[in-house]
Amino acid sequence: MIIDVAKIAKSCKIKLPDLITRPVGRSLYAAVKGKLEYAGTGETVVLDFEGIKVIDSSCIDELIVRLIQDSFSRDFYIKLRNVSPISEINIDSVFSSYSNYRDRRIAVVREELGRNNKFYIGPLSEAERDVIDYLRLNHRASVNDLSIFSGMEKETASTLINGLSSIRVIKMEDGDFISI
Amino acid sequence: MSGSVNNSVLLPDRFRDPYTFENVISMQDDILKSGCADMSRIEFIEPYSMVSLLLMGRTYLRLKGEKLKLVNIPMHLNQYLHRMDFFTEGIFNVAEPVEHNLMLKRSVASKRLIEITGIPNKERQSVNVISSVIALFRKRAPGILKFWMDESVVDYFVTVISELCQNIFEHSLDTGYLAIQTYKSGNENIARLVISDSGIGMMKSFGSRPDVVYGSGAELIEMALTQPLSSKREFGYGLCQVNTIVERLKGTLFIRSENSSLTALYNKKDKSGKHLFHRNGLAHFDGTQISISLSA
Repeated sequence: MIIDVAKIAKSCKIKLPDLITRPVGRSLYAAVKGKLEYAGTGETVVLDFEGIKVIDSSCIDELIVRLIQDSFSRDFYIKLRNVSPISEINIDSVFSSYSNYRDRRIAVVREELGRNNKFYIGPLSEAERDVIDYLRLNHRASVNDLSIFSGMEKETASTLINGLSSIRVIKMEDGDFISI
Repeated sequence: MSGSVNNSVLLPDRFRDPYTFENVISMQDDILKSGCADMSRIEFIEPYSMVSLLLMGRTYLRLKGEKLKLVNIPMHLNQYLHRMDFFTEGIFNVAEPVEHNLMLKRSVASKRLIEITGIPNKERQSVNVISSVIALFRKRAPGILKFWMDESVVDYFVTVISELCQNIFEHSLDTGYLAIQTYKSGNENIARLVISDSGIGMMKSFGSRPDVVYGSGAELIEMALTQPLSSKREFGYGLCQVNTIVERLKGTLFIRSENSSLTALYNKKDKSGKHLFHRNGLAHFDGTQISISLSA
């Protein structure tokens, strides 16, 4: 499912190109949540930010963070598209603060390579980044494949990959792992 | 120009930056007691000093139910203050109003400033104002940020305006003001964004968080700037984000709350150099005042 955030913002009478303040985030969240009623189990939901310049931390907290939280209980995956450089910085900052204070990491994959030279936003390690990059190229891999690729012990690789799966930046399917 | 007024307080020419304006703040009790300020000595007013004087006038109005009288305002300052909508809220009693034909024209000068704009302390109203201010800023950004013009700098400023304005209605429990102007000081071009309120201040705001421990007011300001703290939520992002952006832009950040201040000089930061400066024990001034400047 692809959600055109700018289109939804217009329908909510939100002035573009910036998505700022908590009320704006709440209003968008309510509208997007309505669309997610039609998302299938395990489906990837692409949030397309084409035409959006700035998303501030309040809006990120009310929209993106809440959708990520929902993705755990509702079983869907979030992927971002067309995130502007400043929004990337703001999202990264919010996710880092959230992860530090909640003692639970959050991250999100994105379609295009960001200014951070990564295909995701959030506080992940270099080893985790390598796994995401590997899956992006190869789409599907087993723990064994990823253990060989990373040079890690199978058990260590398994822990790392399951960790990525648990924060929903990769999917597990029939015992293998696939990119989002 | 009319003569001096009995019991008026003669304001010094210290309206050039947040640091020299401390001198005027230290005179606040005398100004409020007198109810009349003589501006004849002032040659120049920058946005931070202007907004702070506005807050001082509002405090007087709230305390006494009367308008603070401003006398002997030099014509060029009077024109400028009118141009910046300083008198729009009717906080001051101006002895010599500017004739309509002497008012500064709006069309040309509009390119490098945003007039004083009230930020309401109610969330719904505030959201509309912030949205309008940002739309206006985007329109005028080519003039305001002429010497720093880059699409990313505009977006950085939009984030900063948004974060700081939201702090007013979320934390200060009062209305606040925003103003922006690019001006020349000597050989330097300065773009200054000011967002100030006369609300409860950061120390009182964090009174609801006994787990946030600090030694002095300036230390608390630094903590709020460098750690994702919030007085209202479990954690917050706003000031931290602002600090990160000002550092990226190599700008300067000045935050004053009650009787403490912190200055961050990212334009002078190097690997070894000290760039954060604390001041405590300043004259009391209600609320929180923030100035962000870029220079070129």
